[in-house]
Amino acid sequence: MATIDLIDLKKNYGNVPAVKGVNLKVADGELIVLVGPSGCGKSTLLRMVAGLETVTSGRLEIGGRDVVKAEPAERDIAMVFQNYALYPHMSVRGNLEYGLKNRGTPRAEIDRRVQEAADILEIGPLLDRKPRQLSGGQRQRVAMGRAIVREPAAFLFDEPLSNLDAKLRVQMRVEIRKLQRRLKTTSLYVTHDQLEAMTLADRLVVMNAGLVEQIGTPTEVYDHPATLFVAGFIGSPPMNLIDVASLSNRRGLDGLPAGTDIIGIRPDVLFLTPQEGISLSMQGTVELLEPIGGESHLHVRLDSSGQSVVLSVPGRPNIAEGSAVTLHARVADIHPFNAQTGRRTDTAVANL
Amino acid sequence: MVENRPWLSFLTHLVLIAGVVVVVFPVYLAFIASTHGSGDFMRGLVPLLPGPHMLENYGRMLTQGISTAGAPPVSIMLMNSTIIAIIIAVGKIAISLLSAYAIVFFKFPFRLLAFWIIFITLMLPVEVRIIPTFAVVANLGLLNSYVGLTLPLIASATATFLFRQFFLTVPDELMEAARVDGAGPMKFFRDILLPLSRTNIAALFVILFIYGWVQYLWPLLVTTDSKYYTVVMGIKRLAATADSEPLWNLVMASVILAMLPPVLVVIFMQRLFVKGLVDTEK
Repeated sequence: MATIDLIDLKKNYGNVPAVKGVNLKVADGELIVLVGPSGCGKSTLLRMVAGLETVTSGRLEIGGRDVVKAEPAERDIAMVFQNYALYPHMSVRGNLEYGLKNRGTPRAEIDRRVQEAADILEIGPLLDRKPRQLSGGQRQRVAMGRAIVREPAAFLFDEPLSNLDAKLRVQMRVEIRKLQRRLKTTSLYVTHDQLEAMTLADRLVVMNAGLVEQIGTPTEVYDHPATLFVAGFIGSPPMNLIDVASLSNRRGLDGLPAGTDIIGIRPDVLFLTPQEGISLSMQGTVELLEPIGGESHLHVRLDSSGQSVVLSVPGRPNIAEGSAVTLHARVADIHPFNAQTGRRTDTAVANL
Repeated sequence: MVENRPWLSFLTHLVLIAGVVVVVFPVYLAFIASTHGSGDFMRGLVPLLPGPHMLENYGRMLTQGISTAGAPPVSIMLMNSTIIAIIIAVGKIAISLLSAYAIVFFKFPFRLLAFWIIFITLMLPVEVRIIPTFAVVANLGLLNSYVGLTLPLIASATATFLFRQFFLTVPDELMEAARVDGAGPMKFFRDILLPLSRTNIAALFVILFIYGWVQYLWPLLVTTDSKYYTVVMGIKRLAATADSEPLWNLVMASVILAMLPPVLVVIFMQRLFVKGLVDTEK
């Protein structure tokens, strides 16, 4: 149980900055998800916390103790790797015990913790098997077990689910969440999958190009994306970002804050029928209809700019490709941005 | 290739059997010769069936040797060869493992240079550098000793290279997981890297044991005391007798004896590394 504080943490590889100054306070027992596109520095950040990468500058505290110079083993953390990194020649029990043995934990205590972890993860019957005799999901459990038996101050997860198939991924995601709630261990979790990020996180940290774009709860980040990057990254299908200058009919946009030159509209608040209140309407041509089950994604090319936008419509509407449509959006649902700064223009979002 | 053509399988078997005969026949002949009396092989008609003198020939070679040819009993030479081959194989593996570990897992200045310098020595086998090596060993007073016989042969670029290639395939995460688990460099090496290299070590041991066993030129140079003769160079001594016909029956008995240990090593270790190949881990 501990807090993790990152204070202006930076990492350079030679002259190339990978992490350009990150400030983050992780509260005790909190699960923070670092999310961002590949190469944004999220894994580097996690590995710095683990002690597997050196810190170029800044402070890093785990449980109030400065650990910048500490070896990974001295930081009281446990890490779950993307490819599990189980020791292939040891049995599952051997894998779970190894870290404890190296720390000189008494035999009785080791047995108790292994048994406990095996019960929690339901891997009791697998204890005497070798990792190669396990399925992907079972290996994932063992990797988690190896973290649990250590009873560390913090768990670090480095894209732990990306090697699993889609169904198992959803299942393990739920289990990780339940487990973390139950153990109340401070956790940092890196992923590029925004669905995973949204469902797991107490708070999300959206990163891009070595910088933090936004920190907030998943709903905050979804409802009030602080920057254009966050707006485009979180949400599936992504938010439609439309250049205000390209719109032929700007009626309804007068109320937006000064400096707004890009508006963002989520696909689920674009409608084919006129809406109540002040709203924006745009003419377009249907390009493609993608039925995905309960709803369909309609790709529409706007007549004014030739830009393609996506809207989600419930059910399977009977619209022919090539037909002309009018799209309506309530002004209240519009996210205003400034292209120059990349920021929101209405309310400044805190913790940037 | 699963093909059901009787003629093809007949032909392939024919070629296989012919190959086996070509390889095995000289060995068979050596064995036959070692079971006959001293003159039987010189009569012009080479016998193809075992003779009655087997125990006598082998017994004599193992216990007495041929003093006129300056060769000690084969048992002594076999013992020497075994000791030397084991020291060379174990030494080569130990040194190569450690140097490959250093090159792959540690970041030190001139790491790549160190690797290439080791690699370049591949181009300088013992035969090329034999005079300077002999001078060094002689000046160190290591002639007629096991150290002198083995030390110059122990450094091995080939084995270092093989282990390097293997270590490069070990995922970095494994080392990182071990670091998080509190294993220092030597603990990681002992607990994780060594067990993973088991099959490679077994395979290399076979190759290097035989390499050590068949050394001829180097033992010939550094040994003058018959206490340190190895069996491969000893055989040469047995065959090169002055003023008389070589005692082929006894020479062949030594040859058969000299062949046995490497064969045993191959048979025994092969089981080990085939097992290793079957349940491949990593």
